[in-house]
Amino acid sequence: MTDEAISIKDLRFRYRDKKELVIDNFSLDIQGGEFLVIMGANETGKSTLVSFFNGLIPHYTKGPMKGDVFVWGKNTKDHKVPELAEDVGIVFQDFEAQLFSTNVELEVAFGPENFAIDREEIKRRIQENLEFVGLEEFRRRSPATLSGGQKQKLAIASVLAMEPNILVMDEATTDLDPISKQGVYEITNKLRQREDMTLVVVEHDTEEVLDADRIALMRDGKLAELGPAQEILRRGDLLAELGVMPLGIPRFFEQMGSSTLPLTPEEGKRIFEKENWKISNTLYRDLVEKEQGELSQKKQEPIIQVRDLKYTYPNGVDALSGIDLDIYKGEIVAIVGQNGSGKTTLAKHLNALLMPTEGEVEVYGKTTAEQGVFEIGKKVGYVFQNPDHQIFSEQVYEEVVYGPRLRNVPEDEIELRVKESLKAVGLEGFEEADPFSLTKSGRQRVAVASVLSIRPDVLILDEPTTGLDYDGQRGMMDMVVELNKQGSTIIFITHHMWVVAAYADRVYVVKDGKILLEGLTREIFAEEKILKDSFLRPPHFVQFSNLLGKTFLSDSEMISCMEGK
Amino acid sequence: MNIDFYLDIDTVIHRFDGRTKIILFLVSFLALVLFEDPLFILPIALLILLQNFLARAWMNIWRMRFLLFLLTFTSIIMWNLFASGETHLFWFVDLESLLYSTARTMLILLMIISGLNLLSTTRNEELVLAMIKLGLPYRVGFAISTSLRMVPTISTSIYTISQAQRSRGLDLEGGGILERLRKFIPILIPVFISTIRDTNIFGMALESKGFGAREDRTYYLEMTMDRTDFLVLAFCFLIVGLSLYLEFAGFGDIAGLTKF
Repeated sequence: MTDEAISIKDLRFRYRDKKELVIDNFSLDIQGGEFLVIMGANETGKSTLVSFFNGLIPHYTKGPMKGDVFVWGKNTKDHKVPELAEDVGIVFQDFEAQLFSTNVELEVAFGPENFAIDREEIKRRIQENLEFVGLEEFRRRSPATLSGGQKQKLAIASVLAMEPNILVMDEATTDLDPISKQGVYEITNKLRQREDMTLVVVEHDTEEVLDADRIALMRDGKLAELGPAQEILRRGDLLAELGVMPLGIPRFFEQMGSSTLPLTPEEGKRIFEKENWKISNTLYRDLVEKEQGELSQKKQEPIIQVRDLKYTYPNGVDALSGIDLDIYKGEIVAIVGQNGSGKTTLAKHLNALLMPTEGEVEVYGKTTAEQGVFEIGKKVGYVFQNPDHQIFSEQVYEEVVYGPRLRNVPEDEIELRVKESLKAVGLEGFEEADPFSLTKSGRQRVAVASVLSIRPDVLILDEPTTGLDYDGQRGMMDMVVELNKQGSTIIFITHHMWVVAAYADRVYVVKDGKILLEGLTREIFAEEKILKDSFLRPPHFVQFSNLLGKTFLSDSEMISCMEGK
Repeated sequence: MNIDFYLDIDTVIHRFDGRTKIILFLVSFLALVLFEDPLFILPIALLILLQNFLARAWMNIWRMRFLLFLLTFTSIIMWNLFASGETHLFWFVDLESLLYSTARTMLILLMIISGLNLLSTTRNEELVLAMIKLGLPYRVGFAISTSLRMVPTISTSIYTISQAQRSRGLDLEGGGILERLRKFIPILIPVFISTIRDTNIFGMALESKGFGAREDRTYYLEMTMDRTDFLVLAFCFLIVGLSLYLEFAGFGDIAGLTKF
């Protein structure tokens, strides 16, 4: 046995169907008991790298490889995945595909069963691990009926039941709401207390990795930077350069010329007070008033009106009830809420994909029931969460042309629209590209373009930034804002609170099928307690400003309101 | 959208050993194919419906009503084409062929219902374990249960994808047969691709959980045949024995029926 849990030596790898290396001359030693976070832009090889740790590469996915990966001194080339599973457990991003049992207990039992553990011991492990992740009351439930956060906790429990000493989480919290995400990280923090547990986490969300020992940043399959987490997280420019979201709090203090850069809201408050800085009440009032003025101007022409909407699933479960909602021309509105709170069900009513069980949904003064999905589709476009649920063509052009053709738009007009839509999403010149060969953010853009080409007045985007890196998220949302400036009304569903803070005019918070809060983004983020009840929390920077008694949505906003600045 | 058939309730049928439930299913199949005459199928039909009633699984039949109705309709007509008799009724239908097609239709419906009875009362894992205890290799049993598991996953993605394409203007109604088929392409391709992707992740998750790590594996589920199971099986073999006897004794055929 060696001290290194995982040792990567001069690793190079490329997938069989690709020309470029995904992992390029990568070396890294991960110490036993360490908590290491791997960050970097999309497609830089993070998931590929961790697939080596339990031998998924080269045994399950094959491709030309050089160099070695050792787990406790064992070369992974010589050991199959099921053997390595005794040491290394992996939790994947997709919580639907990795759970396959019909109840929670059996899901946890599956791993130990494969290792021929006797029944009494399996029973003990089920008890121990379900307690550990806080799911013991659900032991008889079917995993399909759990919320996203619970599913991911179950995935962790089922991996821990094999008693591995290395746990890898490959973007395991990407699809989760903020509080469920925190719940998962509370579990990882508990695991850290165990000295015999090594944690390797691939994560996009900078705010969740403050407790890590070290952070490894990747670029183009190479190790770009490696260092103590606290140090790396203070280097905002470096993070931004590598496509990782920098933290707002240290960035604020850096711009203010502070010598110490705090990371958390509480530390921030302490140093802010120590420095004796003041926020100007007048400037803050001006900011809020200006914003309210702008919004009341936007609230002139209602496009969508929802009154007392109730929706019951065919199996009799109520999904939505008593929903009132108004969307005005030119707005950018965010719909937020926990996994499974009914956000998507609500949004699907706005373009007639679902019809209300009771109540009314009106678009331009006529109910959706009168108009039907084909008619409404011309006015309200819907971009689904997963672009792979709609892309079917071999060429980007064909994909974008599909909607207008179905609506019998004349050919010369179609030509123009495709051009315009591809330009709007930044995919000019990609007309002949194969959409399936594009990156996730590229495919997302194709999906948006193929809805834009129908020229709807309102665009609904279901989690447009999920699965994208910081640059991808910003690029996507900047594009959305550009569309808004050109006249589109935007509604988006998201788990990313920083996206809400940076881009939304107004917010609806959905909880258990009801509207819990509605208001300006600033007003909503001031209500931290209520948000927490609905599994949401504002970004750290907003929390920091809330601690100081004002709600600022960004560091630049706050700086503009500082006294004496 | 959930088309998992298993009903998580506690009934006398649910409590049967998995092996008993599988044997009941297989044996009902055997008993059903023996006879041409609907009258002889009727008692077995009643037993299968009784099982369904005791398992409180009628809602699964109700869920399948459109398929069952469609099958009834086509099967009643179709089997007349493959048989004829001596008593002509109308068009291509004779009394004997009508009886025969009724029997065949009953066979199809009852097979489905018997299958539903099994799936409504048996967890996937219980099914695998029972198959293994009946002598099937683990990997085969697991493969069968995995394909059953894929059904709800695929149907969910069909639902989402058809919604996505409908919101882009796809109208599945109307048009000739060829045109209709063509309209399904934008649904089928994404379904196909996302299923391959899901299967790939599933495979990785499976290996990562040590699938196939040891020659032998253990089972957390416990499965024991108790007195009820033996009584039920005894009763069911009695019925089959009786059916076989009747068949060999020349009962249960339709006189004057010619099959093509």
